[in-house]
Amino acid sequence: MGPTPTITIHVPGPLRTYCAGAAQLSISAHTVRAALEDLQRRQSALYRNVCDETGTVRRHLNVFVNSDNVRDLDGVDTALTPGDVVTILPAVSGG
Amino acid sequence: MADRVILTIGTKKGVFVADAAKPRRSFALRGPFGPGVPVYATLIDARGTPRLYASSCNPFFGMKVLRSTDMGKSFTETKSAPAFPKEDGRALANIWALEAGSGKKDLWCGVEPASLFRSHDAGDSWDLVPGISNHDHAYKWQPGNGGLCMHTIIRDGNRMHLGISTGGHYLSEDGGETFRASNQGVGAGFAPDPYPEFGQCVHKIARHDDAPGRLYMQNHGGWADWTGPGGPRPDIGVLRSDDYGHSWRSIAKGLPSDFGFPIVVHPHDADTVYVMPLEGATRSCPGGAPAVWRSENCGESWSRLARGLPKKQSYFTVLRDAMDIDRLKAPALYFGTTTGQLWIGREGGEQWDCLFDSLPPIHNVKVAVV
Repeated sequence: MGPTPTITIHVPGPLRTYCAGAAQLSISAHTVRAALEDLQRRQSALYRNVCDETGTVRRHLNVFVNSDNVRDLDGVDTALTPGDVVTILPAVSGG
Repeated sequence: MADRVILTIGTKKGVFVADAAKPRRSFALRGPFGPGVPVYATLIDARGTPRLYASSCNPFFGMKVLRSTDMGKSFTETKSAPAFPKEDGRALANIWALEAGSGKKDLWCGVEPASLFRSHDAGDSWDLVPGISNHDHAYKWQPGNGGLCMHTIIRDGNRMHLGISTGGHYLSEDGGETFRASNQGVGAGFAPDPYPEFGQCVHKIARHDDAPGRLYMQNHGGWADWTGPGGPRPDIGVLRSDDYGHSWRSIAKGLPSDFGFPIVVHPHDADTVYVMPLEGATRSCPGGAPAVWRSENCGESWSRLARGLPKKQSYFTVLRDAMDIDRLKAPALYFGTTTGQLWIGREGGEQWDCLFDSLPPIHNVKVAVV
C-alpha cells in the first residue's frame, strides 16, 4: 500500500454547522471507510450526522467519490486516490 | 410575568409554539422550529425556569433533541441525542416520548426501536436504561404501523409504566431498574391468542395523582368482527386498571368505536377521562363527524362532545400524543389532526373552536400553564 492519499470531503450546507462552518475538509485516507473513521475521530458531531451508531452510512444519504456513488463501486471499501473529492449528499425526496 | 397557556405542537414539518393569556381567547403562533422534519415528541418542563423540548426526526441526518429556554422563541440542539452503544447493533429510528424525571434536569426518553433512555443534564447526554431496553422480550416485539415505539412513560414514585407498540404495558416497581410485562386483561387482535403475555398494541396510557392505582389505556381495538382463530374480541380497545396496572378490564361499552389513539384524564377529577374514537379500518372519525367522548365515572358510561366540531365530511385522524388538557380551573382540551387543524375544547370539551386551520399534519400537542 502506497502513501496515504489526501482527498477532499465536500460537506453539504446543512451539516457545516457541525464542523465549524467548513465546506470542505482535507483528509488522508486509503478508503471511504478510513475517511469516515477519520471523521469519527476528528469531527465526531459531523460524523454522527453521516453514520448511525452502528457505523452504517445513514439510509437516506449518498456518498460519491468524484461523480460515482459508492454503492456502484465498492461501498465504503471504495479505494481513494490523491485528489479525489468525496461528496456527502442527502437523497432526493420530498413530501 | 402573568401566567401564560403555552402549547407545543409537533408536526410533520417541525415544532410550533402557541401561547395565550389565561382566558385563552386567542393564541399567538410561532415556528416552525427545527429543520422542517417530523417532530413526534414534545415536553413542556415547567419545573423552575421552563424548558421546552422537541424531538426532531431527521430522515437524512438522524435524531436530534431540540431545547428552548426562552419559552419557545428559539430552539437549539442539545449536545447529543439518545444513541445505542455501537456493540448493541440497533440504531435509533425515532424519538416518541420525552418526560420529566425527578431531578430538575432529569429527562426520560422513549424511542424507536422500543427502548428507554435517561438524561441527568437536560438532554445533553443520555444513558440507555437496560432493564427495559435489553429486556428478554425486546427482540420479540414487533413494529406496528407507526414503528416499534415506546410512546408512554408514566412515573409514579418508584413505579414506572411504559407503553410500547407493539409490546404492551410494562411495569417497574423499583424505579426503572427492572420491568415486567403487565398485560392481564389487555387484548390483542392480531394474534391467535387474544390475551398474550406481551405484544399488545397499546396506543396510550394515562393516570391521575388523585387516584392511586388507577390507570386508563387506549389499546388497539376494532376487533369485534374478527372471525379467525381465537374468535372476536369486542371492547378490548379502552381499558382501566384499578390495581396499579397489574390487571385491566374493558370500559369501552357505550363508545361508537373502541379504536382510537389518545386518552386523557381531567386535571381536577380522576374519574373523568376523554377519548377520541376512530373507525378501526380507516383511523378516521366515525361517519365523518368527529367527536371527543367523555366519561365522568371512570369509563362506566360515555357522552359525546362535539359542539362546534364539523358535523360531516371530516375524516382526519388524531394521533396518540395529539390530545392534551390544560390545568386551569375550567380546563380546555386541545387536539391536533393529521389534516393540520388544532382544536380547543373549552369548558372541558363542551365547546370546540379551531385555533389553527392549516398547520402541517400534527403528531403531538402538549399544553402547560407557566
